[in-house]
Amino acid sequence: MTLKPSQSNSCRYGGCTLTGALSVTTHVRDAVTVVHGPAGCTHHNFSLFHATSLDNDAPVIPNLVSTGLSETDIIFGGEPALDRTLDSVLPSNPGVIFVLSTCVVDTIGDDIAMVCGKERGVLVVPVPTAGFIGGTFEDGVNKALIALAGMAEGSRGTNARSAGNQNPGNHPVSANIIGEKNLEYELVENYTEVNRLLSAIGCPVNCRFVHDLTSARIATLGDAQVNILRDPALVPVGEYLKKRFKTPYIRSFPIGLGSPVFLETVAEVCGAESRDAVARELALQVETLGTFADLRGSTISFAPALVDPKAVSAAKQLARALDMPVRKNGLAVPLPTTPPVGIAGVRRLLHRWRRAIHA
Amino acid sequence: MVMKQIALYGKGGIGKSTTSANLSAALSLQGLDILQIGCDPKRDSTRMLMHGNFIPTVMDLVRERGDATVSLSEMVYSGFNGIRCVEAGGPEPGVGCAGRGIIATFQLLEKFGALTGDVIVYDVLGDVVCGGFAMPMREGYAQEIYLVTSGELMSLYAANNICKAIQRLSSRVKSKCRLAGVICNAKNQPREEELVAEFARRVNSALVQFIPRDRVVQVAELNRKTVIEFDPGSAQAEHYRVLARRVMENTRFTIPTPLEIDDLEALAVEFM
Repeated sequence: MTLKPSQSNSCRYGGCTLTGALSVTTHVRDAVTVVHGPAGCTHHNFSLFHATSLDNDAPVIPNLVSTGLSETDIIFGGEPALDRTLDSVLPSNPGVIFVLSTCVVDTIGDDIAMVCGKERGVLVVPVPTAGFIGGTFEDGVNKALIALAGMAEGSRGTNARSAGNQNPGNHPVSANIIGEKNLEYELVENYTEVNRLLSAIGCPVNCRFVHDLTSARIATLGDAQVNILRDPALVPVGEYLKKRFKTPYIRSFPIGLGSPVFLETVAEVCGAESRDAVARELALQVETLGTFADLRGSTISFAPALVDPKAVSAAKQLARALDMPVRKNGLAVPLPTTPPVGIAGVRRLLHRWRRAIHA
Repeated sequence: MVMKQIALYGKGGIGKSTTSANLSAALSLQGLDILQIGCDPKRDSTRMLMHGNFIPTVMDLVRERGDATVSLSEMVYSGFNGIRCVEAGGPEPGVGCAGRGIIATFQLLEKFGALTGDVIVYDVLGDVVCGGFAMPMREGYAQEIYLVTSGELMSLYAANNICKAIQRLSSRVKSKCRLAGVICNAKNQPREEELVAEFARRVNSALVQFIPRDRVVQVAELNRKTVIEFDPGSAQAEHYRVLARRVMENTRFTIPTPLEIDDLEALAVEFM
């Protein structure tokens, strides 16, 4: 039996493995995701993704199909229902079909890989996502990303393979963004911030793996010189890609005032120049903190909430930078559930603090 | 009379179906209205009562037609002396979930009001491998559990495991499930009756009937009949009739005290 505790420091403790994997596969826009289980598992996730996409001002109808298992399927085995469902989605001509499992089909031992292995003229990729075995939401994300990376069979990966960590010939460099949290509220802002930083060192984004792409795009996964993980929970994916494409990875988006170090590290990994960009970023940090000078000296406390420990340490760093004592009896200021990304994240957080302090 | 519901549990191949069918036949000849329910995907519990025919199972009907269109008359078949026979059925070996099949069958039988008569005999597969196969022991179903065992250690081991299930279930507030006794379906080992009687005593029960091994059982089965029907004058038929009487007269229903494996082995060694 597996009793697997969450190994990350992100706040996505627990959660549903299936939902995590779906947050990835539904972003492959020409794919159909078949959820092998009772209809409710699909309905619940469909509602969640639809509502979240509305919240994020990017309404998308997730392309989900349920095998709609009944009690009879559970008793006699669900493999025929999966087989029928796969055949039924073929006429829509999907670029790829993902098959995600639910708790009940892994309990009764359906041989999903066998059904997926049948020739249908389209790639069918199984992702085992039964949650009761001990997986979490982030395990689902990781499993889906690794399964999708398996599709990058024809990836050239020439730059990464020939140049390794260096780029002496001054080839154009690029970075992949790995494992964006497609359900998070600040998804767009966080991507924009990282993209801005990467552009500053002449390292544009190659592939957002996986956010709003088509299956063909995945083939370019091996072409980047560096993989930028959204957060350290994705290290297993980073390791997998490193083994597969020899692409080194950065463990996390820059947190709080960490952008200058981020720039240096990324530039070093892909052989780019960072001195000017770092200087500009440091100046931007000084300038930004300067616009919050009115907060200096305020005694604050952090509102107790379920937050990532990294968000707490980022908040403490900001409090130090603005000479704001953190005391138990200080004015309660909000903490984000996930750490602020770059100076843009810092600015949004400090705006919230200002509202709390001047309320 | 109050409807009596009994279940026979025991190791696979120990003779539960033979014992159940002969018990049902003997009870039926006492003038009682009997329903025998086979709770094993092998679906052969009622075969001798049906003169060698495998009847369609509840699960087959549900699979082919969906439970909305299935009727009671299609699930219940009249066998020897009007004994009503039902087979739960289940998935092919190696797929699906047979335990859930038992639960679904019971729900369906309940829905149709099929669980009637003077005595219902539940013939359950070898071991209580999951919650589904403990279904016949649950509230509203069999309240009297009989263990079928020989003197072989593995058979006693299985019986002891079933005691654990009965003990667990009987601790529930509304549970009326009790161990009603041990039936020895003998392999004709030396001192087998003594051994099984002692096992029964140690698990806080009693040996209800010793059924010796007799060739007439195989001969009757080759003729697709129970011993009761095939050779009612035989000594073996009399054993089954005595069993039937004792089952009807039995008032000793206990919460079993299962043995530790070491004690069980020591017991078997004692009677070697």
